[in-house]
Amino acid sequence: MSLAAEAFVSQIAAAEPWPEKATLYQPLKEDQILLSDSASSLAVQTFLRMCGLPVQVSCCANAEYMSPSGKVPFIHVGNQVVSELGPIVQFIKAKGHSLSDWLDDVQKAEMKAYMELVNNMLLTAELYIQWCDDYTATEISRPRYSSPYSWPLNHILAYQKQWEVRRKMNAIGWSGKSLEQVYEDVSQCCQALSQRLGTQPYFFNKQPTELDALVFGHLFTILTTQLTNDELAEKVKSYTNLLSFCHRVEQTYFKEHDGESQSGSSRHSKGSLP
Amino acid sequence: MLSGGRANAVHAHTNMAEPMELLCWGGDWDLPSVHTDSLIVLAYAKFSGAKLAVKSIDWTWRTITASVPQLHWEGSTVTEPAQILNFLRKQRFNADYELTAKQGADTMAYIALLEEKLRPALLHTFWVDAENYVNLTRPWFTSHSPFPLNFFVPGRQASLALSRILLTKAESPLLNITEVEGKIYSEAKECLNLLSHRLGNFHFFFGDTPTSLDAFVFGHIAPLIKAPLPSGQLQKHLNQLENLCQFCNTILKNYFTDAAAEKRMDCSLTATHDPVDANLQKLTQLVNKESNLIEKMDDNLRSSPQHRPHRHETKPSALASERNSPLLSKH
Repeated sequence: MSLAAEAFVSQIAAAEPWPEKATLYQPLKEDQILLSDSASSLAVQTFLRMCGLPVQVSCCANAEYMSPSGKVPFIHVGNQVVSELGPIVQFIKAKGHSLSDWLDDVQKAEMKAYMELVNNMLLTAELYIQWCDDYTATEISRPRYSSPYSWPLNHILAYQKQWEVRRKMNAIGWSGKSLEQVYEDVSQCCQALSQRLGTQPYFFNKQPTELDALVFGHLFTILTTQLTNDELAEKVKSYTNLLSFCHRVEQTYFKEHDGESQSGSSRHSKGSLP
Repeated sequence: MLSGGRANAVHAHTNMAEPMELLCWGGDWDLPSVHTDSLIVLAYAKFSGAKLAVKSIDWTWRTITASVPQLHWEGSTVTEPAQILNFLRKQRFNADYELTAKQGADTMAYIALLEEKLRPALLHTFWVDAENYVNLTRPWFTSHSPFPLNFFVPGRQASLALSRILLTKAESPLLNITEVEGKIYSEAKECLNLLSHRLGNFHFFFGDTPTSLDAFVFGHIAPLIKAPLPSGQLQKHLNQLENLCQFCNTILKNYFTDAAAEKRMDCSLTATHDPVDANLQKLTQLVNKESNLIEKMDDNLRSSPQHRPHRHETKPSALASERNSPLLSKH
C-alpha cells in the first residue's frame, strides 16, 4: 500500500472498535502449511492473544492469493484486510491497543532491531531450508504446498514458488551458503536471542511485547514441526532459557484459552497496558 | 581499558609473516572508500589494529563477477564483510573483545536492522535514483574500473541493486519501483532515527571504544553523508541527525586522517621493521586521541544537547545529564 493509503486506512481503523468476528486466514493446517508460514501465523495469533483481542482462525487453501501482499497470515477485521505482523501491529496500534508503548526510545530501537534479526535470520533460514535444500523441497515442501491442487497445476505452482524463493535468496546472497552454514546462522541467532533474554520472563522484563510474540511463533514452530531431520530443532533446544520461554508463553496464552469458556474476556488484559 | 584489545594486536603482530591484502573500491569525497562493504572492513581493521595492505581496484582487476571487498592472505581468499570480520577475529584482531554477551547479541540485532531497513534505501539512492546514478555513481565507477569492464560494471551493479530491492521489498501488487520507493525511504528514515536514539550522546555505540557495530554503521552512513548527491532526501534527513554526523566525523578524524600519512610511511618500511617502536607510537597516538575526545566531551557538555530540534526541552536535558554523568564518573 502506498503511504497515503496506509494513513487513510489507519484513520478509518481508529474509528471502529475491535469486532467480534475478526478472522485470521492461513493455509490448511494439516496438509498445506509450511514451516515459515506456520511460524508467521503463530506469531500473529500470539500477538493478538497478548493484546486480548479475540480472533477466529480460518484455514483456506488459497489464503496466499487472498492476501493483499501475497504473504500469510492476514486478518480480516471489519472492512479491512491487513497482512503480516508489522502492518498488523500498526493497525492494532491505531485501534488503541499496544504492547510496546511503555518502552522508551532506546528500548523501542532494540526491539525493532531484534525483530529484524529474527526476520532476517530465522525466517530466511526457514525459507532456505524449505525451498533451497533439494531434499526437503522434494520430500516435504513441494508436495505440501501443492496438495490442494490437481495435476498439472500442483507441479506448476510448486515449481513457481520454489523459483521465486530461490531468486530471492540469490538477491540477498544466501544462495552461496551451504546447509551447515545456515544451521550455524540459526544457532548464532538463537544464541543472540538467548543472551538477550537471559533469565527474564520476557524480552523486556515483565511485560510481553511483539518481539516475544514473534520469537515464540518461530521457535515453537521449529520445535514442533517434523522436517527431514531434527537438526534445526536441536539447535534451538540447546538453549534452555529459550525452551522455558516457549513453555511459559504457551502455558500463559494458549492453554488457558482452551480451558476457559469462550467469552473473549481477558484474564490477558494484564498483558495489555493501562 | 585500552590494554585488552591492543595487547592482542601486539601479540598478533609478532606472528604475521606477511601482511593481509584487501582488495576494495578506492576512496573519494574524504572517505577511504566509497563502497559500503569496503568501508566496513577498512573501519574494522583500523579499530582492531589489523594492518592491511589496501589495494584499490585498478587496471589489474579482471573479472566482473568477483565480490568486492576481498581479503587475501597466504593463498586463501575471504569475501563478504561478515566473513572477513570473522576471519580477522580468528587472527586475534578483535575489536569486540570487551563486549558483554548481551552487547554481542545487540550487535547482531542492529546489524540485521541496518541490512533490512537501511541498505535498500542506500542502494536506491546510489544506484536506482536516476539523477544520482547518472551524475555521480556511474561516472565514478566507470572511471575507476579498468577497460573494458568499465562499460559493464556500473550497469550490472545497478541492475543487481534494483532486483534486490524489488525482490525483498516489493510484494506482488507493488511490482513498480516507484511505489516501493516511498516505503523504503520511510523505513530508512525510521532506521536512522532509531540509530540516533541508540547512540545518544556517546561517541560510539558501546562506550568509548569502537566495535564491529560501529564499523557497520559507519560503512552504511559515511557515503551517505559525504557523497555530493544531486538528489538526496535521505541525505538531508541524515544531516539533521547531528549525533550520527558527528559519529562519522569522529571516526574519520581519529582513524583515517592518519591513514594517509601512515600509508606513505608504511611504503618505505619493510615487514621486518621492529614492531615494538611502531606500537609505542600507536599507543601514544591513542592516548592523544583519548585526551582530544575528553576535551570534546567537555565541550559537548557545555553546548546544547544533540537531539532533534522539535523535541521538548526537559526530556533531552534529563537524558543528556543522565548519559553524561556515567561517562564523567569513568574518567
